[in-house]
Amino acid sequence: MARTKLVNGERIPLTAEEEAARDAEEAAWAAGAFDRAIADLRATRNRLLSETDYLALSDNTLSAEMNTYRQALRDLTDGLTTVDEVNGVTWPTKP
Amino acid sequence: MGTITRTFTNNIGSNGVLGSSAINNASLNNITSISGVSLKLLSTATAAGDASLDFTTGLDSTYNEYWFVFNNLHPSSEGTNWTEFQGSTDGGSSYGVTMTSTFFYAYHDESGTYTSLSYSSGEDLAQSTSFQQLNRFGTGADNDQSFSGILKLYNPSSTTYVKHFVFQTSNYDQDDFVIRSFGSGYFNTTSAINGMRFAQRTNNIDAGTIKLYGVS
Repeated sequence: MARTKLVNGERIPLTAEEEAARDAEEAAWAAGAFDRAIADLRATRNRLLSETDYLALSDNTLSAEMNTYRQALRDLTDGLTTVDEVNGVTWPTKP
Repeated sequence: MGTITRTFTNNIGSNGVLGSSAINNASLNNITSISGVSLKLLSTATAAGDASLDFTTGLDSTYNEYWFVFNNLHPSSEGTNWTEFQGSTDGGSSYGVTMTSTFFYAYHDESGTYTSLSYSSGEDLAQSTSFQQLNRFGTGADNDQSFSGILKLYNPSSTTYVKHFVFQTSNYDQDDFVIRSFGSGYFNTTSAINGMRFAQRTNNIDAGTIKLYGVS
């Protein structure tokens, strides 16, 4: 179906050039989906890691459970190659 | 214009406290105008499956400040659905003015598990002609999910200064997070900005309104 744009309240079909530009934009966007998904995943993972960083300071003995949790967070992105895999990761439970 | 006949000082007691009779319903009813911010609705764009909503009239030197108010913009389907904008200096023939901007966001999910407050270098612009995002993470396409907020544009007709903007938005995303996005920036041009385009990458805008106000 042809796309439209609303210009000052008037609905106008996109020109062929605009349609092509939009198609190209959507294709480029779709091509970058994995990069965006993995970046978001890493951002959340890093935030969760930072929440327990204070437990890993040298003057504290990290529990085995916390050590496992933090390692699982660090390993979370291993082997991920598709957006579905990124969206389907199982987050470790914080002890 | 209505008049409050009693002088204000007559209603201040010796203890410096305003008396209960200082302001009452009658005096308030007599007020016909209040000086301060005045909004003039210039136009309304109501989306119905549109690739973009464009404003190419109303942006001129009449007002020093213009507000674009987004009310429940709803994408046609799930996707990235980032509402974004660009300006035009040629009345809407092209959209690609150089911008530099900042972008922050905070989020919280419905389960109460995840929270964050961050600067996001993925959404800011540095001398770019790309569109500026108004929200982080895609707006959901469920019936109760949408995007709302406001973009303020200052002195778009100035031919001396760049054109500053600030925005703050709330987004209900497809993973049931609320994301508060806020930022600012400027169109790095001394040409007048006389057109604005809003779109939701990469779907059409299924519903919702954008209202353009002049502020005086």
